This record gives sequence, structure tokens and C-alpha cells, in this order.
Amino acid sequence: MKRRDFIKTGLTGLAAITVGNVKIPGLFRTEAFAAGRTIDLTMEAAMVEMVDGTQVFHWVFSSPLSTPAIGPSFPGPALFATAGEDITINIKNTLKEPHAFQIVGTRILTPPISPGQTRTVSFKAPAAGSYLYIDPLNDPVNRVLGLHGAFIVIPATGNTPYSFPTPMVQQLFNDLGTTPQFPRHALSQVGWDPARFRIWLHHQIDPAFNAQAQADFDAGRASTVNSAQMRANFLPRYFTINGKSGVFAAHDHATTIEGRIGQPMLVRILNSGLYTYSNHLHANHFYVTSLNNVVQDNVLFIDSQTLKPLDRIDWVVPFIRPPDIAGDPNIPLRELIPEELALTIPGAQGSPGMPQSPLPYPMHCHMETSQTAAGGNYPQGSIAHFDFLGDVDGVDFPNVIE
Amino acid sequence: MAIPIIPRGDVPPEEIPAFFNFTTPPTNGGIKQVDPLTPTFTFARNLLVDFDLVLPDGGRVPMWIIEDSNAPDAPPPLPKDALRRNFPSPAIRIPQNALVRADVLCQGNTHTIHWHGIEPTPMNDGVGHTSFEVAGHFFYQFQPRDAGTYFYHCHKNTVLHFEMGLYGLLLVDPPDPANPSVPVTYPTGGPGFAARVNPAAVALTDHVIHYDVEAAWVPDSIDSRWHLLGHDAFMQISDPNDPVNPANFTQDGILNDFRPDIFVLTGIPRRINDPTPITAAENPVFGPLVAPTVGVGQTLLARVINADYIIQQFTLGIDAEVIAMDGRGLGIPPFHQYSRPFPLPAGTPFRLTSAMRWDLIVKPTTPGVYPVKIEFLNQITGRLLYTARTTITVV
Ligand SMILES: [Cu+2]
Ligand SMILES: [Cu+2]
Repeated sequence: MKRRDFIKTGLTGLAAITVGNVKIPGLFRTEAFAAGRTIDLTMEAAMVEMVDGTQVFHWVFSSPLSTPAIGPSFPGPALFATAGEDITINIKNTLKEPHAFQIVGTRILTPPISPGQTRTVSFKAPAAGSYLYIDPLNDPVNRVLGLHGAFIVIPATGNTPYSFPTPMVQQLFNDLGTTPQFPRHALSQVGWDPARFRIWLHHQIDPAFNAQAQADFDAGRASTVNSAQMRANFLPRYFTINGKSGVFAAHDHATTIEGRIGQPMLVRILNSGLYTYSNHLHANHFYVTSLNNVVQDNVLFIDSQTLKPLDRIDWVVPFIRPPDIAGDPNIPLRELIPEELALTIPGAQGSPGMPQSPLPYPMHCHMETSQTAAGGNYPQGSIAHFDFLGDVDGVDFPNVIE
Repeated sequence: MAIPIIPRGDVPPEEIPAFFNFTTPPTNGGIKQVDPLTPTFTFARNLLVDFDLVLPDGGRVPMWIIEDSNAPDAPPPLPKDALRRNFPSPAIRIPQNALVRADVLCQGNTHTIHWHGIEPTPMNDGVGHTSFEVAGHFFYQFQPRDAGTYFYHCHKNTVLHFEMGLYGLLLVDPPDPANPSVPVTYPTGGPGFAARVNPAAVALTDHVIHYDVEAAWVPDSIDSRWHLLGHDAFMQISDPNDPVNPANFTQDGILNDFRPDIFVLTGIPRRINDPTPITAAENPVFGPLVAPTVGVGQTLLARVINADYIIQQFTLGIDAEVIAMDGRGLGIPPFHQYSRPFPLPAGTPFRLTSAMRWDLIVKPTTPGVYPVKIEFLNQITGRLLYTARTTITVV
């Protein structure tokens, strides 16, 4: 069976830790659970393999005390909590210089953690939304060298991803699956299923700085990487989403957004690096429902959007039928475009090619330098895929197997 | 203690063809169209064609452009082929809801056209690695349902091909609300109608505004080092059996390192050290779109597109209103009802990154010459690289 034949829900493939009462049916398949309300994170060194096979030194998070244990992760494990619940995070620093832990956009912050030391931060989970955790020391060096991850807060109640939706965002979520413009997929129970979300944590790597940190690490001394030099001279050579680039990101089911017409999906978009992106989605415009943890009042419906360093942005991808497909919108796509759905375009150089069904589209950054690896190799950079699996009436396209 | 290794990802054996498609897209291989319907609107484009962008000091930058081979001769004093071959590539205007068949001829090498913001099937979307690249003719088919500002560009080795100039304006024109069943396109430069939410609307076709003058600010910047590269510069070596073998990745590329030294506003160029403002008179095709003249009591529609790889900050010296983004009129039901137009007071800067499009309207009340400033900012350091200046003249 081809991997594209799978129907995926939840976060298969992305290291995740849930704490407390995170209860969304079908949300996870492979998550780790924290003991009680405590998450244990360890900062350690790892070699992260780039898309071209180059190994680059990083500082990363692991969670050896979770059940099951989570090894070194790039980005760090995604942490899930419920708004308002009490959480404790223990952070152990096994590296050779002070580090710290912060949730961007909140007051949740540890003092510096000395080499060998463990520090604890306890807090009430903030309002529901998409957050980024980082090591804020030597800003931006420590986060750029790998100490970052997603922190996701689920609301205690409601049908939106937020504790305090604006009237416009509430209206949008009320309308999904209940109005003529957002017909609900025949097999879906609700307009937006809270288990239908993705995290796209964007990052960039300039290996020159990592090499300097590695030389320090190997010599047993504290890092000498200078923040002003990094800000002035950072030239990304690799671009990742959820730690993967190019074809590995596009074929990662923790990153691909997929579903049938009428199955909207929430995408939580974060940038832990220093590059400003312009993310462009094909096939559907998307609704911007939250920007840096401010739930939006004027909910834009756009196809390209700025993602600045440290930004946290939520999109609702409505999974409406791509509106500009030629022909009668009332005819199911399987009847309107049977030739395309049945086609396998022969590959180059005698390769068997790939079937055009399910319908594949990209999401990519339009700044385009982000589409490279090692200065070229287009499109092995910051890219994800967006696949339509079936018509709204419950009939799937070819090659989709439940 | 050995440092652990975090791998780049798996290559499941059954996915090798998909991985190979990603690095080396198929070509259409004789396929000219899929699921054809009877078109109501057709046009043709031909790519690529070499073009020299002439700088004010007489210097020339080699560009690649998309030709409109069917366009008529331009009237004097324009160069005869100015409507066929130009940078940006000739604008396409399509009536809203038209069933489009676009005859695209790709020659010399493979290319595609992506109709940016238009949302058709994958094979009509012009992305190589999710469908194919085109050799010879392909008839792209789509039916744009939303009036607004789009653009079209090649999506092969995009980082290079888009930078080389393979793009142009793509505008979807709404009908005159007095004749909503008559498909129309409007003359570039105005007058016409554009999508804008209308609180008094009775029919969906009432969500438009009449404009007298049309402007187009399409800033772009050029790294002249890149313009000496070949079509497939710094691409991977193609190996169908081992598509992501580390040995197949080029290691000497510069396409992550964009250092613009020439800045253009809708095709009108300046070197980085030349601050001369851009006037309507200096370029008969694009000048009036960049430096428009509008009367008191009239309405100016300005279409703004970042066609660049860096951040652009726009500041107008006159009050405006933002009525649409990315080909979607803010506030128009049903899909855009969760948003609304908003005012942009004179002197309020806004930033766009690549491919973002904003439509602005200006309703001038006082004669004068109002400045338009576009600042180009590095996308990593935020450093100001160049400031382009032009004007809106109100008479
Ligand atoms: Cu585009
Ligand atoms: Cu694109």
C-alpha cells in the first residue's frame, strides 16, 4: 500500500506531550503522556541531518521521563495543555552554558538555568491558542540553535480553538458545516473537528553558527556564538517545517493538510527563526483567525501571508472545493474531472510517476529563497502539501483507502 | 559520549516515484488538456522570451518574459512590440466567471504558468512537482469566480524563474452592475469596476465600486548576479532510483543569498544608488500606472503586488481605503463576510511580503501632488535597501 493511500488524523510522527485533561477524541496516536501535570524537558546536544544529508550540530529538547520517553527532538516536543489548568515544567540543562525557558507572548519564563541544573516553572495554562516555547537567552542564538517548540493550549469549552473568540471568529466556526458556503462532508459529525489541526513550526539553519557552537561544545567550554553577529550575518542554508525540508516535509503526514471537501482544518503556524516568510497556499484561500495570540476581529480571507520571526498565526483552511475549477460547481468533482483523477502522468527518465488522485497542492513560501537547500535544489526548502481526498457527498477520489 | 543523530526523514521504497517527481517533475508528454469544457474566453502566452531591461544609465539586465504573441502592434511612440513583449509580462484581464482556456506554449526548455490566487485543479495549477512541467503546448483551464487582483508566473525552479521576470498582472474584472449578465474586461488604466462590499447591495453583483483611474504598483528587486544563471541552475541531479541521495544535491548554489542591486516599480528600474523618483512620462506603458493622475471627485483604484523576495513597506501621502486582499473583496458575502474594508490614513505605512496583493481606493478632494514611497527591506535583518518614490497627481 502506498503511504498516500492512508487516511491520517492526528499528529502521527510529531513528538507530542499532553498534560492534564487534554481530551480530544482521535487527536493523537503516538503522543506521550506527562506524569500528572508535570512535563520534564532536557536540553542536550544532537546532530540534526539536513535534507541533503549534512549533519548539523544543534541544541535540542528531549523528554526522557515521559511515557513513552521522547528522545532528542528537532523541534522540541509539542506540548498540549488545557486553558486554565495548573502545569509544572521541569527543565534540565545538560549543556555547557546557561539556558532558560520561555513561552513567547506570556510571562512564563525561568531564570537562567546553569549547566547541570534543573529549574521548575509552574503556571496556569494561558488562554487557548498556539504558542512558541524557546530559550530566550543570548537572543536569538539559543532558540535559533535549536531550543524551541510548540506549546498548544486547548480551550476548556466551546466550538472554536479559543477561550475568548471574537464575534467574527465565533461566527466563522458556527458557520463551518452549517451554511450553504461551507457544506459539511457527509461523514463528518461537526463542521470543524478539533482533532483536525496541524502545527507548522518554521525554522532556518545557517550551519556556520552551529559549527561554532559545536567547536565550543567539543572543547568543553561555553558557547561563544555572539547574538549581534548572528543578527547581522545569519544566512539560512536550510529551511524546515517541523524539522523537515522539501520532499521530507511534503511527504510527512504530521505536516500535510489533508481531508475531503467539507472537512476544514486549523493550521498553527510558528516561526522560531530569523527569516520573514510569505506563506502561500494553493487551492483554497485561508482565514486568519489569530495573530500572535490575538484572536482576530477582521478575519481576512487571503492566499499569501507574512510570517515574521517569533510569529504565532492560526489559519482555518476551509477545505471548500477549489472554487476556480472550471465547470458546474454542483457536479461532483469525480464526474467533472474524471480524466485528471484517473491520470498517472508518466515520470521523467522512465519513473512510474504518481497518480494525480488524491488531488495534490502545495503550500510554499513565496519569498522563494526559502525554497532552497544548500543554495539551490529547488524545492527542498520550506514547503508542505495540501491534499483533497474526496467529494463533499462522502465519495472519495481514487487511491484513497480508509 | 556520542551525540545522537536526528535523521532527515524516511524514504519508504513505495514512495520513491513520488520523491523523484518532487525533485524532477514529469513533463506533460503530449497531454494538451484534461477534462476539456467549451471555453468562453481564450488567450495565449508564450514562454520564455529573452528581454533586456534597460536601466536609466543605459545598462541592460537580461530578463526572461512571457510573450502575448497575439497582441497588436503598439501605437507610436511605443516600440512596435511593447504590448507583446515587456517586463512585467503583458497583463491578462478576464471577465469574472468566464470559462478560460489559456494556450500556453513553452519552448527552449520546460516551464509552467501558475495563476497565482486562482484555484483550479492541480493539472491546471501550474506546479511541476504536483503535476508536470510543460513542453510545447498545454491548454490550462479554469473559471475565476472572484473579481480582483492576481498575477501569473512560472513555477519551475521558481526561485530563479520568477526572479528572472516570468510574471505579469492577472486581473479578473466584475461586470457592470447595471448589466450583470454581460461579461466584460476593462481597459488597463481605467475606468472600470472592482470588487468592493456594498452595504446597499441587492444582488451579489452589486458588490463593486466604479473607478475612474487604475494604478498598479508592482515593486520587485533584482540581484543581477542571478541573471547570468541558466534555467536549471543549482538543481539536483536526477536519479529515479535514489532521488534524494546526498551526493545528488548541489552544494555551490547562491539562490539562498538574494542581494538586490536594482529595484523596479512595475518594470521601471533604478540602480540601488539612484534615488530619482519615477514619473509617468518616462515609460509610456507602465508610467501612467505607476504615477497616475486623477481628478478631484474621481476614484483611483491602486493594485499593489509584492513581486519580490524581500519585505516592502508602502506609505501614501493621501488617505486611502483597503477594499480587497489577494483577489477577495473584504466583507463580500458569503466567504468574505468575516472581514471588512478599513481606512488607511495618509502617512500610515503597511508592509507586504511576496505575492500579497492589496487593492486600495483613493477619493481625492484637494488638487496637489501626493507622494508614494516604497521601502525595500531585507527579510532577515530588516535593513532598508532602497526607497522608491513616485506620486499621485490630483487635478
Ligand atoms: Cu505565486
Ligand atoms: Cu505557487
